[in-house]
Amino acid sequence: MAGFGWRLTRGRGAKQFTLIACAVSAVAIALLGKADGPIFDKARAELSDWTGPVLSDVRGPLIGFERWFGNLGTIFTVYSDNAELRRENAELHKWQEVALSLESRLHRYEHLLNVVPDPKLPFITARVIGEASRPFVKTMILNAGTAQQVKKGQAVVDDRGLLGRIYVTGEDTSWVILLTDLNSRVPVVIESSHRRAILVGDNTPAPQLELDVGDGPIKPGDRVLSTGDGGLLPPDVPVGVVMGEGDTVRVALFAAPGTSDFVHIVDYHMAEPPPATDSVPGVGSPKTAANSQAASNIPAKITSVLAVKPPPPPAAVKPPPLLSQDPNQPQFDGQTEEQDR
Amino acid sequence: MTAAGELWFSWPGRFLAVVLPTLTAVCLVILANTPVSFTGYLLPAPVLALAAVYFWVLVRPDLMPPLAVLAIGSLEDLLSGGPPGLWAAGFLAAYVLTDRQRETFAGLTGLGAVVAFAGVMLLAGSTAYGLACVVSMRWAPLPPLLLECVTTVAFYPLVVRPMGWVQRKFVGSLRNGA
Repeated sequence: MAGFGWRLTRGRGAKQFTLIACAVSAVAIALLGKADGPIFDKARAELSDWTGPVLSDVRGPLIGFERWFGNLGTIFTVYSDNAELRRENAELHKWQEVALSLESRLHRYEHLLNVVPDPKLPFITARVIGEASRPFVKTMILNAGTAQQVKKGQAVVDDRGLLGRIYVTGEDTSWVILLTDLNSRVPVVIESSHRRAILVGDNTPAPQLELDVGDGPIKPGDRVLSTGDGGLLPPDVPVGVVMGEGDTVRVALFAAPGTSDFVHIVDYHMAEPPPATDSVPGVGSPKTAANSQAASNIPAKITSVLAVKPPPPPAAVKPPPLLSQDPNQPQFDGQTEEQDR
Repeated sequence: MTAAGELWFSWPGRFLAVVLPTLTAVCLVILANTPVSFTGYLLPAPVLALAAVYFWVLVRPDLMPPLAVLAIGSLEDLLSGGPPGLWAAGFLAAYVLTDRQRETFAGLTGLGAVVAFAGVMLLAGSTAYGLACVVSMRWAPLPPLLLECVTTVAFYPLVVRPMGWVQRKFVGSLRNGA
């Protein structure tokens, strides 16, 4: 009977050598994969491109069964779930009224302050053809790649919020590193306190929040948004809500990768800063004159604050479109609040 | 049958006998990494290929060399989307333990065999975990790994039965030129 002790010198020279060579290779692959990822990323992309069409066809029927099987337990709670949803729906109707009222007020303030509207971010909608939830990886495969202008680093969102970002791109497929992945680190901001933090994935459903700068209070329920820091992700994309207090603050994510069939890949580029010049072009031009006339209705306190701010670049001087695209939304005819009265 | 005819029939048979263990492990890697979960991602997918590696190292170690184990582990890493090399190293650690204790493990049946596989799985998982911590330069959470170990051990009896059938029907007989 063999002993339990390790017998490193067993007299099987060639086998021992192969074994040691293989072990060294495995460790080297792991370390090389960290240092020189593109080799393995390329292999992975080739593989997903090759298997992509099969995955697309196979996933459809399987996902139906998966959801049916996964929701088996809910048949026992369907009555209480329904009652809870009715209650939530009634509450949300009240919030909808508040939101519409605030949106109307926001539009009015933006018009009064002549705010430059945020640019619309172009995006690609892709279908999820695969997911992997393993101890060392949380990833998702999409059916869009470099042929559809998908690039590494682009943000991936669903209807609820940020899911992750692209880390491997094939020709027709791409891999997403989810926010919950061990290697995911995303700069975020706490909406209420404007405190910056890093959202660090640790392969658990709720990633950790590593607080960065500032000392604003953080309480459970605070919304967490993405920042545009570093030009990595678009700013103000909803991420989740704070849960827990003390040393380990975690975030309950809005997005649910398990139930996302289609996702948006956002093409975000950080705006180039305006060139530093001594004289500001366009000052005193008709456009700025019109702008200053509109600003003459703003109370003196606000205009003094505006005067301290650096002058905006010429493109910013042009007033934003004042008519809402949505016919149900309140329309503005270009007059100020005071003129309305 | 002529000598040439025997050679013709023995050649594919021998070739199949050599590649079948690796092929079954590769099939299990693909099956385990099918990007669909039947539990709504509550449970991680089992590392089915490790059960195949364990089985073949016990039954026919000559047909499951370290190079094949490295290839199977690397394929597992590649298909799972995780950092490369983790399961390759884990599978090799499992190979070393199984090979060293082959005589002990081969004599076990029933629950004993499952417990022995659980030990091998734990070693493979620990190796992959250690390497993952080194690569990511931080402590990875243990519960997901332990859950994957439990899932894999639970699937072990289901994997071993077809493996035994393949061994009896094809590998054993084909290698003898039958």
